[in-house]
Amino acid sequence: MQNPSPSPSPATATGAPTNPTTTTGATTNKGKAPASAAQHSSAEASLKRKRGFFQKDLQHMMYGFGDDANPLPETVALVEDIVVEYITDLVYKAQNVASKRGKLLTEDFLYLIRKDLPKFNRCKELLSMNEELKQARKAFDVSEENLATANDQV
Amino acid sequence: MWFVFLSSGSALLQTFTEEQMKRYEAFRRSGFTKSKLKKVVAKIVENQKVSEEINIVVSALAKMFVGDLVETARVVMTEWQHTGPIRPCHIKEAYRRLKLEGKTFKRTVPPLFR
Repeated sequence: MQNPSPSPSPATATGAPTNPTTTTGATTNKGKAPASAAQHSSAEASLKRKRGFFQKDLQHMMYGFGDDANPLPETVALVEDIVVEYITDLVYKAQNVASKRGKLLTEDFLYLIRKDLPKFNRCKELLSMNEELKQARKAFDVSEENLATANDQV
Repeated sequence: MWFVFLSSGSALLQTFTEEQMKRYEAFRRSGFTKSKLKKVVAKIVENQKVSEEINIVVSALAKMFVGDLVETARVVMTEWQHTGPIRPCHIKEAYRRLKLEGKTFKRTVPPLFR
């Protein structure tokens, strides 16, 4: 990748202090109520099994988004940890939104992501495509059935 | 940051080099393996069955989040005048910035006083 002339960088651009963020994938939930600690520890337990779980998927993805054709393994591992945490937090929050109703619905996710327009629109697009596919499959099944009964009557 | 799909007849696509074409293909085709993602989500939800639609949504959001990370990391590299493959320090900085932008979900209450 070519580096264009450096833009006037703010003071923070020069090696901003790396916060002790989750590089191992364990979330630091300090001072949480005991009830959620159990859920937290089960989420942690599942995280511990995750070494290289999404490695191949992520390698392709990162390349597609701009990384090297062969991303560094340590980078992929870090991205995996961060993404798994993202998914965990996302689903956890969606559950909270859904808790009054009981069942987890896509609306809960759409509500959480409402301010991030690209993500919101993409989800809507995929969901409507999925709906179209379901309708198409239904129509196909119905016509198959009609063909079968028609043949029986011959 | 955009999520643009080019129709196969697009004039822009015709101008792509082989390298660009490969990257675009990876961008389009890459994704989280359905069964693997289902396992992760099921672990978090525990008591319920996870519908196909929810997996579609989580998969899309996670992929776009990876996009946020990688693209922001490249911006960071430009600012720091680094070249080559993305390194963990770039991702860490990208993640820090995304958090500040509110593009992540924090389960804990953020510190009000620093």
